[in-house]
Amino acid sequence: MNTKMRHTLIAWALIGPIAVVILFPFAVMLITALKPADEVLQPHWWPRNPQWGNFIAMWKATNFGPALLNSLLVSGFSTALAVAVSVPAAYALARMPFRGKGAFRQFLLISQMLSPIVLVLGLFQLVASLGLLDSKLSIVLVYAAFAIAFATWLLQSYFSTIPRDLEEAAWIEGASRTTAIRTVFLPLALPAIAVTCIFTFVQAWNEFVLALTLLRSQESYTLPIQIFSLVAGRYTIEWNYVMAAALVATVPVAIVFAIMQRHLVRGLASGAVK
Amino acid sequence: MNEGTAHSAAGPAQRSAARRRHAVPYLLIAPALVLAAVIVLWPLTVIGNISLHDVNRFGQLRGFSGLANFAELWRDPDFIATLWRTLIWTIGVVGGTLILSVPVALVLNRDFHGRALARVIIMLPWSVSVTMTAVVWRWALNGESGMLNSALRAGGITESNIVWLSSAATAFPIQIGIGILVSIPFTVTVFLAGLSSVPEDIYEAASIEGASSWQQLRTITLPMLRPFMTLAVVLNVIYVFNSFPIIWVLTQGGPANSTDILVTYLYKLAFRFGQMGQAAAVSIIMFAILLAITLLYVRLVTKTEAKS
Repeated sequence: MNTKMRHTLIAWALIGPIAVVILFPFAVMLITALKPADEVLQPHWWPRNPQWGNFIAMWKATNFGPALLNSLLVSGFSTALAVAVSVPAAYALARMPFRGKGAFRQFLLISQMLSPIVLVLGLFQLVASLGLLDSKLSIVLVYAAFAIAFATWLLQSYFSTIPRDLEEAAWIEGASRTTAIRTVFLPLALPAIAVTCIFTFVQAWNEFVLALTLLRSQESYTLPIQIFSLVAGRYTIEWNYVMAAALVATVPVAIVFAIMQRHLVRGLASGAVK
Repeated sequence: MNEGTAHSAAGPAQRSAARRRHAVPYLLIAPALVLAAVIVLWPLTVIGNISLHDVNRFGQLRGFSGLANFAELWRDPDFIATLWRTLIWTIGVVGGTLILSVPVALVLNRDFHGRALARVIIMLPWSVSVTMTAVVWRWALNGESGMLNSALRAGGITESNIVWLSSAATAFPIQIGIGILVSIPFTVTVFLAGLSSVPEDIYEAASIEGASSWQQLRTITLPMLRPFMTLAVVLNVIYVFNSFPIIWVLTQGGPANSTDILVTYLYKLAFRFGQMGQAAAVSIIMFAILLAITLLYVRLVTKTEAKS
């Protein structure tokens, strides 16, 4: 047996069982989503009569459309805001010496360490005192604020890998600093910004506890809260619709993430190793 | 860049230009700083204030009460039990993740048939919201019609249905297991980054010297991986300690608070029982614990940097 075959056997012997446990919930989602209502509570595995129509019926039954729109709006706007404020901050950290840089870094570290749940009580009071309870604006602002530390750190570690000489050459050519940033730096930084956007978007897309606390009415629910509300404290749960909704909410993001994951790994690697 | 030399220029025009240039980095960080400070620091001061006051269930202050809220917590047996359970939860999830992630990363770092597929599968839980994962598991663990029971019975592993979520003895280990599963992708990513920083020629030199692959693992790979393990452990501790959805979706800390950890207990105190003062005190205790962990990490990092 050659080495690669031996490695393959060892690898799959280790990864196989973990893969089964990872894929099990996906199988459960798909199989339950395809079961007709009268088969859902029967404990056999395969649906005898698969109902692809469940994916359409689910849309109305779970109020999927409005929740999807809310999730898109909240994740989109909070990502845009977080990246818009993090790019300049990361540029300053990567390129400019200034007094208080260390303090700013420490502040970012602390805001990274404080998760929303620790602050949830204070955030609730803050949002309530501004009269923004149940508004999507409050969620956008809070998500953006909590994303800043990671976004700035990730962007900064990428930015410092972009050679400075290119910008300096542009200055010598007579370009102003802003022009140099726009025409030389930003095009090179674009992939890094894209990765940061995707990561921030996925975080917002998946967030649970703040949405649970700050959003009070079903009209403003995002997808995780909407789906949770179909399960929590209900006497009858239409599991086939819930699983269909979970699948539709999950798979597109999972595909995008799987494609972008390689870039993220590289970003984290350059940030960690430096 | 040497902005310092601008000071020596005499003309007032140059001086104001220099001042403007000094202001640039501060203007660049200002929006990020202001947004994060308002939304992170203000709530923190609000919580600190509430924790030291007697408050009604809407969070209105009724009078300074010193450490009464903290003393109340200390006398609450549920809180003490929750504190211990949080320790078990954090050590269980972080330790389990570490034990599984090191071999997975080592294996994924070598070439084998189907490596790309294995990588995608291992990374998959990262992209799925933990809430969704927990909702699916809640259904899969359903006592009467859950698919885990039917799979286990079909495989001849168990004979009758197990009502997984009705007692902490079965529910809590499962919650730890799910916690491990969703923490593996990030941890493996950090370790792969670490492994890619080990230069190939060290191994070549070692095999020429006659070192076995086990010796190479013990004397080269694992020591090189150590800083990445520290990083992953600290970030995972912070993340797991703060993790809410798995426990909330599966059991809401029940039955009878027997699967609560600090975050779920905090949420119940604040939004179910209306005990705002005690909830604020739990937040402050959590903040202190997190700060201690972070400082410990900063200390470890600066120590290893000083050594190298």
